[in-house]
Amino acid sequence: MTAPFPRQIPQYMRRYYRRLGGFMAAYAAVLIGGLYIAMAGIPLPVRVFLAFLNAAMILGVFWAIFRLLAECDDEYQRLLLVKQTLLATALTLAITTCWQYLVVYEVLTEGPAWVGVIWLAAFGIAAPIVRWRS
Amino acid sequence: MNNRLRVLRAERQWSQQDLADRLGVSRQSVNAIETGKYDPSLPLAFRIADLFAMPIEDIFLRDSA
Repeated sequence: MTAPFPRQIPQYMRRYYRRLGGFMAAYAAVLIGGLYIAMAGIPLPVRVFLAFLNAAMILGVFWAIFRLLAECDDEYQRLLLVKQTLLATALTLAITTCWQYLVVYEVLTEGPAWVGVIWLAAFGIAAPIVRWRS
Repeated sequence: MNNRLRVLRAERQWSQQDLADRLGVSRQSVNAIETGKYDPSLPLAFRIADLFAMPIEDIFLRDSA
């Protein structure tokens, strides 16, 4: 006997994909456009504006992820998402802490930087780890 | 917590995906519950009980049972 309901991508995932795609496309456009304009030489206030605009797109991705957590109506999937978020945070803290002390002991000259991007990469890495054998 | 979900599902010849669709959850959720990796919340346990038209305690059993 087959189920009476269609098998489809859940609404909360559709909304997440739409938000994620929108912010990632906007991020690429702002970054490429911003750097192109900045190379031509622009005043400080415009550079500050572009910096915050670029950051806003990354913040938008964070917002999309946390909306996904709030809107997910499958409790087991939500549990996995929470685990994924915590693992991503732990990985980011581990990487940036090690990086920090490499700077303290003058192995590296700069950092930690790109923390938001590191977290998003860690979020991607954490997904298969959390779902492995789940 | 033990449960009889796999047996009840098999009696009705439903796949995990069939059951998941009926409950409005993912197939992974059904698998996790059946294998004892995840204990459902009380609202989901009631939905499962309603679907099988059985009391919760006839589906979910104490570990010692």
